[in-house]
Amino acid sequence: MKKWMILVCAFLLAALTACGGGANGGKADNASSPQPGESASAKAEGGKKKLSIWHIETGVRQELLEASIKEFMKAHPDIEVEAVQIPNDAYKTKLSVSMGGNNPPDLFHSWGGGWLKQFINAGQVMELTGKIDTGLYLPAAIGNATYDGKVYGAPLLMSLTQFFYNKEIFEKYGIEPPKTFDELLAVVDKLKTEGITPIALANKTKWPGALYLIYFASRIGGPDVFTEAYERNGRGFNDETFVKAGELIQQLVDRGAFNKGFNGLQYDTGQSRQLLYTGKAAMELQVSSYISNVQAEMPGFEKKLGIFPFPTVEGGKGSATDLVGGVSPVFSVSSGTKYPDEAVELLKWLTSKKLAQQMVDKAGVVAAVKGVEYRDEYTQQLNEMLNQAQHLQTFYDQTLPPALAELHKDTTQALFGKTMTPADAAQHMEDAAKKALGK
Amino acid sequence: MTSDAPNIRGRNKWNKGLFLLCFLGPALLIYGVYTVYPIFATFYYSLFDWTGIESAKTFIGFDNYARLLGDSVFHRTLSNNLILVVASVLTQIPLGLALALLLYAPIKGVRLYRTVYFLPLLMSTVAIAILWTFIYDPTIGILNNLLADIGLDSWQRSWLGEPDTALGAVVATICWQYTPFYMILLRAAIAGIPDEITEAARIDGCTSWKSFTRITLPLIMPTIVTSCVLSVIGSLKYFDLIYVMTEGGPDSSTELMATYMYKQAFSKFSMGYASAVSFSMFVIAFLVALAILSFDRSRSRGGA
Repeated sequence: MKKWMILVCAFLLAALTACGGGANGGKADNASSPQPGESASAKAEGGKKKLSIWHIETGVRQELLEASIKEFMKAHPDIEVEAVQIPNDAYKTKLSVSMGGNNPPDLFHSWGGGWLKQFINAGQVMELTGKIDTGLYLPAAIGNATYDGKVYGAPLLMSLTQFFYNKEIFEKYGIEPPKTFDELLAVVDKLKTEGITPIALANKTKWPGALYLIYFASRIGGPDVFTEAYERNGRGFNDETFVKAGELIQQLVDRGAFNKGFNGLQYDTGQSRQLLYTGKAAMELQVSSYISNVQAEMPGFEKKLGIFPFPTVEGGKGSATDLVGGVSPVFSVSSGTKYPDEAVELLKWLTSKKLAQQMVDKAGVVAAVKGVEYRDEYTQQLNEMLNQAQHLQTFYDQTLPPALAELHKDTTQALFGKTMTPADAAQHMEDAAKKALGK
Repeated sequence: MTSDAPNIRGRNKWNKGLFLLCFLGPALLIYGVYTVYPIFATFYYSLFDWTGIESAKTFIGFDNYARLLGDSVFHRTLSNNLILVVASVLTQIPLGLALALLLYAPIKGVRLYRTVYFLPLLMSTVAIAILWTFIYDPTIGILNNLLADIGLDSWQRSWLGEPDTALGAVVATICWQYTPFYMILLRAAIAGIPDEITEAARIDGCTSWKSFTRITLPLIMPTIVTSCVLSVIGSLKYFDLIYVMTEGGPDSSTELMATYMYKQAFSKFSMGYASAVSFSMFVIAFLVALAILSFDRSRSRGGA
């Protein structure tokens, strides 16, 4: 009797493990269980060509992307596409490991700039010059995936950075959106006397705070200051622009503009957005995907939000129309793909005006593809900002080579935490830039 | 007959050896491939300058290790790891022992407490990290609000946001997570003490304190030493909670060797340097384990 029981239990255990493993491997386009080893090899199963694509989209954007992929498969019955969604932070690690293990997906997401360049230098990305029509995309966007005139990726959407503010709170206390830094300080003071945290900030992952440094540098030194420092033909990272930018950040910190403990709060889990939802904070400087986060977390709250551009700095060379933003997603093709022509077909499909239009209509984003119509108030505002912009500064941490990008984030977080002086932070960046970029 | 005996004995020994090999073989093979080989591979990779995303590598000898010796962030991680080791050994094991003794007292409802105190070990590390991140939240977290309620407003801090308090806060969470493990381990050890000894002590009029220090403690000492080794090695390798709660920040105040290695490998594309960090971790943990075990051996040879 006992032996029989043991045998039954053992059999059940084996059956459960087999079922669990089978279910995971069998799902072709499920978001929750990425199996890189299996998806990466494009084998011809039953005559079908298999392509794999890795992306980081969530929510509505993910739904639209995967619906588009299904349409592609209908239009191309001989191609099967497996889409794998990986959360943002884990994505960078996973892709690096798969590249290093010579096991990469056929199509993959990136943000262009310095991070994609790493893979290009390692010979892992297929060159797309001549294979896609670069005229379909906004110059600033496709420029982010072009290196020395060679194109390595195609963009779909863009991200712009601006202040989001609670219109109700501003109305209640008779506050107007500030246009200059001094006006911003006045708004900060006024909100503080009313017991409201002026600006919400969750800076554990370091990039939300970096947005301030990038904007201040652009406003103070003009839009070219970063390019000069990056290309080593003009002002360096230790130029007084960057020092002053650090000083203004610390001025905001000293003024009590931010919530307590910002360097320990996690943006992705919503610790800063919570402060706005509960009415404890009035503003937040963030990228345009903020709205879709709000829509998902507290539907309806987005109607209370307005946007205003980053204020100008008196005596600065930059203007209020210069924007900071990024391009995401940029899709690229691995150089080792077994089906290059099919992969490029999929690439063109996924960066088409059709998908871009759907995204704009339903996900509140700005497209990197030309000819898209903007029909709702929020995206119209963003599009107007983009059209008026003379210059779009891409996020430093997505433009610089990785080691320098990390240093930029580390030093900026230290500026916020007041454990480093602006002069030191700027000098560290310049020293590292000399080593990494030369001159 | 007698001349055959050595041959038979020899053959038996050979058979026995073969027999053992058949049973140990598979496990030894897996151990060799997945544990021993990677250690040598890590050392091999640490001699190169390698991005980790292509097969091309440049041999640079021991340059990575030279860089390691001068790296101030690495020194910070060493001291952070040391703080974690000391805090773990001095908190988790004594507390675990205390709980092991207290939670088996014959009082009503003690089973419920046993379950409750055991729960931290059952939660996934990431769940614990997110839970405690919200507890430590400076504006809405229950820790700061509790301090305000009992009038200790001045003790409120941004626990995870300030370099001074971040390490302490995370170490406290780590201890919360692992104390139940030692509670169970030490309870098993205490249960292993024969009843006759404790009964004899009671008959002879031994006080419970004397009974604890003269009987229980010496008899569970081997388990305590094992717990120390586990705690020290675990603390030297620790990664999970730090990575999710603070990512090594703010400003490297909670950076550990493991998180530093991870960043070098996957954010900074310096796989060679990360391998050097990793191999150094192995060497340090290995030496410490040797030290503890040899200390214990000399103690047990000298004392008992």
